This record gives sequence, C-alpha cells and structure tokens, in this order.
Amino acid sequence: MLRLEGVEIAYGDAPALFDVSVHVDRGELVAIVGPNGAGKTTLVNAIARLLPFRKGSMHFQGTDVTKISPQAMGAHGIAVIPEGRRLFTQMTVEENLDMGCYRRNSRAFRDQSLAEVYALFPILRERRHQISGTMSGGQQQMVAIARALMSRPEVLLIDEPSLGLAPIMVSQVFEIIQKIHRGGMSILLIEQNVNKSLDVAERAYVLDCGRLIAEGAPSELRSRPEIAGAYLGHASP
Amino acid sequence: MNANLLAQSALSGLFSGGLYALLGLGLSLSWRFLRIINLSHFAMIFLAAYLTYQCTAIWKINPYLVPLFLIPLFFVVAALQQLAIIRFGIDEFGSIVATFGVTIVVEALLQLIWSADFLRLETDHLKGSMVLGSLLVPWADAFMFMCAVTTCVGAWGLLRFTYIGKALRANVENPAIASIFGVQSRRLSLLVAGSAGGLAAFGGVFIALLFALTPSQMYSWFGVIFATVIMGGLGSPLGVLVAGLLVGVSESFAMALVAPSWAPIVPFTLMVSLLTLRPGRI
Ligand SMILES: Nc1ncnc2c1ncn2[C@@H]1O[C@H](COP(=O)(O)OP(=O)(O)O)[C@@H](O)[C@H]1O
Ligand SMILES: [Mg+2]
Repeated sequence: MLRLEGVEIAYGDAPALFDVSVHVDRGELVAIVGPNGAGKTTLVNAIARLLPFRKGSMHFQGTDVTKISPQAMGAHGIAVIPEGRRLFTQMTVEENLDMGCYRRNSRAFRDQSLAEVYALFPILRERRHQISGTMSGGQQQMVAIARALMSRPEVLLIDEPSLGLAPIMVSQVFEIIQKIHRGGMSILLIEQNVNKSLDVAERAYVLDCGRLIAEGAPSELRSRPEIAGAYLGHASP
Repeated sequence: MNANLLAQSALSGLFSGGLYALLGLGLSLSWRFLRIINLSHFAMIFLAAYLTYQCTAIWKINPYLVPLFLIPLFFVVAALQQLAIIRFGIDEFGSIVATFGVTIVVEALLQLIWSADFLRLETDHLKGSMVLGSLLVPWADAFMFMCAVTTCVGAWGLLRFTYIGKALRANVENPAIASIFGVQSRRLSLLVAGSAGGLAAFGGVFIALLFALTPSQMYSWFGVIFATVIMGGLGSPLGVLVAGLLVGVSESFAMALVAPSWAPIVPFTLMVSLLTLRPGRI
C-alpha cells in the first residue's frame, strides 16, 4: 500500500539517502533498522513529505504521492509518531489529541477515537488536562502514539519509539505497537534497537549510511552472519 | 488624598488599561503567532481613527455602523500586508523595519489628507457620564472598556477552545508536525494578521471617540502598548488584559499620588520588575 522506489534525498548538496526502495503491504509490520545517522529519520520525513525527493517516486494505495504536501500526505492516511515524540509541549494531553484529529474527516470521529485511545492508554484519560511537556518520557510517547491514532491513519510511521526510554518502558511501548498492529494497522517501525524490532516485525530492512543493505524476514536476517555481526551486537557464529 | 478621589483615579486607570489591552491584543497575537513585530499596527489604529472621524463627523454615518465595515476592510488590508511579508520572506527583525516604513508612510498620508491640526470628533452618541455612587463614569469610556474586556476574553476563548486556536498554538511550536496533521500555516497566518488588522480598526474607532486626533500622536502609544504586550506574555489575551489594567491603574495612581509627569515611567518600571521576577516569559 506504501511503495517507495529509487528514492534519493539530500540536504542541500549532501545526500542522505541513495536509491532506497521500500514497501509496506496492508496490515504488515515492517521494520527499518540501522545505526545512528543511517538516514532513518530522513526517510520518515521524506515519506511524510516534509523533505523533497531528489530522485525516485512514492505511491500510496496506487496513487502517485511523490510531489504532494505534508497536509495532503496526512489526508491520504499517513500518521507519524516522530523521533523524540515532538508533542505540542505547552498544550494539554487532550489538546494534543485534538490536533491528531484536526482534519475534518477525522474530527467527525473524535469521540470514538478518544474512547479508543483512552482504552489503550487509561493513564492519558486521567492526565488529559496535564500540560504534555511536564510528563515523563514514557507518558509523552503514549501521547505521541495516541495523537497519531486520533487521525485514524492507514499507515503508522513510528520513528525510534524507544529513544530515551527506560528499558521497562521500551518493552511496554513495543507491546503497544504489537497490539495496534494486531488490530489491523499497517506499521512502518524505524528503530536503532535492532533486536526488539526484529522480534515484532514481519519483514525488515537494514539501512546503513543512506543505503539499504539487506531485506528479509527477521529470522533470515538474523541468520546472515554479516548482518548479525554488524548490527545485532553479537559476533557472527 | 481622599478615598473618593482615589477611587475615581482607579476607575480612570481601569479604563485606560482596557484601551491598552484592546490596542495591544493584535500586536501580541501577531508577535506570537506570526513572529512579526508589527509597528504598523499603530498606523492602522490611527488610520481607522481618522476614517471613523471622516465617516461620523463629515459624512454623518452612525458611529455604531462604522466598525461594521472598517473591521472587515482592515482585515483584508492586514492580510494583504501579511501576504507581502510572506512573499518577501521577512523575518522578525526585518518586520520591525518594514512595518515602521509602513507607519511613516501612513503618517504622511494622514497629514496630507487631514493635516497635522488636532481634530475632535463631536457626536451625540455616548455623550456625558453616569453617576455611580460618588463616582462619575463616562459612557464612552465604560462602553470602550466593556468592548475591550469582551474582546480579550473572546480571543482567549477562541485560542483555548477552538480547533483553529489549538492549531495556531501547535503551529507556532512545531509547524512541521502540525502540517502532517493538516494545519495550513499560511492560511492561519492570514487569519491572524487579518484579525490583528480588525482589532486595530476596532481600537481606532475608540481612539477617535475618546481623543483629539493628530497623526504624530500614534508614536506616543508605542511605549505603553509595548510594555503591556510584553508584560502580558505574547499571544495571551488574558495576560494582555491583566497587564493593561495593571499599567493603567498604576499610571493613574502615580498621577494622582505623585505627579502627572510620573505616569510615563510607570509601564517601564512595571515591565522591568516583572521581567526580572519572571524571566523567560517572552
Ligand atoms: N536537517 C539536516 N540538515 C543536514 N543534514 C542532516 C539533517 N538531518 C540529518 N542530516 C544528516 O543526514 C544523515 C542521516 O540522519 P538521520 O536521518 O537523522 O539519521 P538517523 O535517524 O538514522 O539517525 C546524517 O548524516 C545527518 O547528519
Ligand atoms: Mg533518527
């Protein structure tokens, strides 16, 4: 349903992604893993149409979305849980969620969506009047996930949800992601935490220095010595 | 000093404070949400004041009708100015220079059309005062005050409770993320600029109603209005209202208790002490 082909992205003259082709099918949970600086966030921002493509194309549900605005991309059904949460920190939890359903068609489902995300994160209902910037990192991550869900997306882009969280929170966040996925959501999960991502993903890409260097099922990637050695944090067998 | 005089001076301070808030609100909103320090706000206020004079004193139009067409007119003009600011990519500091240029041009225009002589709008509407106990309450001031408070509270409500208000606050904090959720920042910026223009027109009507007009008078408002806006916290209508009232009443007390010449020092003293006590509010 989401398909990028031969995408190249650059910051000024400095290229950050070369010839990247990835796709996410309906209902899939796909991971893109890679070390810091690999270009993961660049890819997320490109898919959200915050960065222009220098080369290549992107299609969403068969429509060419290579040249559209972020507003239009969101309207097609992409929601982003950005790296570092990027909440509207001076606004309350519920105001952040309201921004999630800012678009008219998602606004119509506001009450229903609110009930759903509060069921997923009961703590957010309790804290709905709290200024989001004053919450803990884990709770902020919940707000970021809930805000994205409020837009009732077709595909969820999740950029480094584990960043800066305590290990126990990381496990919780991954559980939530799996739960959302089991509900039928198509998810593109971008992570540095390779092991945890491969645990939950159905398919994965490895990105390094702006290039895709491997693609496959998690078990297959784990069995490839050059991948396991370089990215999984243990020596090849 | 008797209590009656003190009460009367508190009242007149509240009234001036309401006007400060009304005049400062548009400035505060465009500073916070557009990152534009719009000095031409003052020129717009005075242009509106002169147009009110023209319509009411010369063309004999009912003064209550004047805002009904001045506000939409100024909304459009201010939105067009914002389009130009976007087109030329003018930033916060550039905006001071550019809008000061506009101010000077408008001042020259006012002088050309209406001369530098003082003009006083004489109207039968809102004349005289009501007596409240021992206090004398001028109708015009009381009406202005009501409008100012209503406007500030209304603006607060819009920012706090509507989707557009939330979108404005979200957009100023993180435009990229806001855009993914569908916020159209250019449209919003035209709306904010237009509203600030409409507020300038509204304020201008009251300037014409309450003061004798001369073009250069617009500069005398800079100090007290900027002090009010900065103290109120940018983009906070209730903050602007409270700050305006605080400045107005303090000025009024300084005049009554010390000497009239002390009044201009008050807003700055207040502003500096507040910024020292609560830094990082801007
Ligand atoms: N705004 C930017 N301007 C210039 N270069 C950038 C910018 N953002 C990221 N980069 C560069 O692009 C490369 C990929 O960065 P990023 O996508 O953030 O990696 P990751 O998310 O995988 O850690 C890095 O070399 C980084 O320095
Ligand atoms: Mg990143």
